[in-house]
Amino acid sequence: MDFSDLHKQLKSMEGVSKVSHIRKNVIKLDLEKSVSKVFFTKLKDDFYFEHCSLITAIDNQPDFELVYHLSCLSGELSVDGTKMSAMVEVHIHLQRDSPSVDSVSDLWFGANWHEREAFDLMGIYFIGHPDLRRVLLPEGFAGHPLRKDYVYEIHEEEW
Amino acid sequence: MSAKGIRGNPELRRGVGSKTTDSEKIMEDPPAGDWLALRSDQLLKWIDDAVYNASEATGMREVVDRVTRPIFNFAQRFSPHPLHFGIMCCAIEMGQASAPDHDIDRLGLVYRSSPRQCDVLIVNGPVCEKLRPKLKTLYEQMPEPKWVIAMGECAISGGPYWDSYSVVAGADTFMPVDVYIPGCPVRPEALMHGFLTLQKKIREKEPGMFLRRE
Ligand code: SF4
Repeated sequence: MDFSDLHKQLKSMEGVSKVSHIRKNVIKLDLEKSVSKVFFTKLKDDFYFEHCSLITAIDNQPDFELVYHLSCLSGELSVDGTKMSAMVEVHIHLQRDSPSVDSVSDLWFGANWHEREAFDLMGIYFIGHPDLRRVLLPEGFAGHPLRKDYVYEIHEEEW
Repeated sequence: MSAKGIRGNPELRRGVGSKTTDSEKIMEDPPAGDWLALRSDQLLKWIDDAVYNASEATGMREVVDRVTRPIFNFAQRFSPHPLHFGIMCCAIEMGQASAPDHDIDRLGLVYRSSPRQCDVLIVNGPVCEKLRPKLKTLYEQMPEPKWVIAMGECAISGGPYWDSYSVVAGADTFMPVDVYIPGCPVRPEALMHGFLTLQKKIREKEPGMFLRRE
């Protein structure tokens, strides 16, 4: 499949907006939170995106933004007639009062720890995750430190 | 619970980390009724007590201590075996100190990979909340006598991460530290000087054979 065909097909899918090429072999798009599971399943099964490179969370106050980098490394997709690895960058916007989204760790096993990290530092809840625990901070830590509104007492005594 | 006050509340900051209460439980005496069987540690303690009391009563303790002190001290002073354990960038300098340029081996330092064979624990980097219980376990696994060197600003006070939410403010908040080596990073010469300081400290301490009871 050619990359421009993929562009068209992605554009016609439900819940997808702002599809754009940001590089020759990278497509960026915005996705509705409610259709994320259907979209990711289709992306993996029909469009050969078999590798989840990265999941990060961003705190754009007041909302959260999740960024998924999914790559196709097998050469099934061709870019301008050349076999090349391709990438899709998916952005999902989440409300601050309900930062939850469907987990993709059953599609890509590598997503497991990325989701745990996003939960640990940013407090995004992944529904259906098999083992949503903190990964970098100790259990029992209160709060999610990479949130912009996280407060901790820096130094009590005056210098 | 608000995020405020985590730093002030040690219970919250500790997390699952410290297992001290668990290990204390393991070392507890067996329940009554178990006393019929003499366990090996009880036998050792009994022998220990007998030898100690006998040597104390006959005055042998003083003699043995006087004889063994210089030998023990010499041996400990000139063969401090540090644990081969690196945390962050200061560990690179620790490696450089053993390289041919500085060759710290000539002070008798041999890095060992098991804490059971070590005398010195070098804390060479920031200790995270999650690493703290593990480091404490390493320290507890080392046989007596043992010493701790805090290498670099991170291990002394938290260094560049002093106001972090997850870095412990210095290694001396949870284990006894003998020598502090300032620097970021610590130069190999400074590490060498730290070990010479430790040798001086060991010489002053003068442990003999009956070290445990003093
Ligand atoms: S003191 Fe400096 S060089 Fe050493 S571990 Fe800390 S940051 Fe790295």
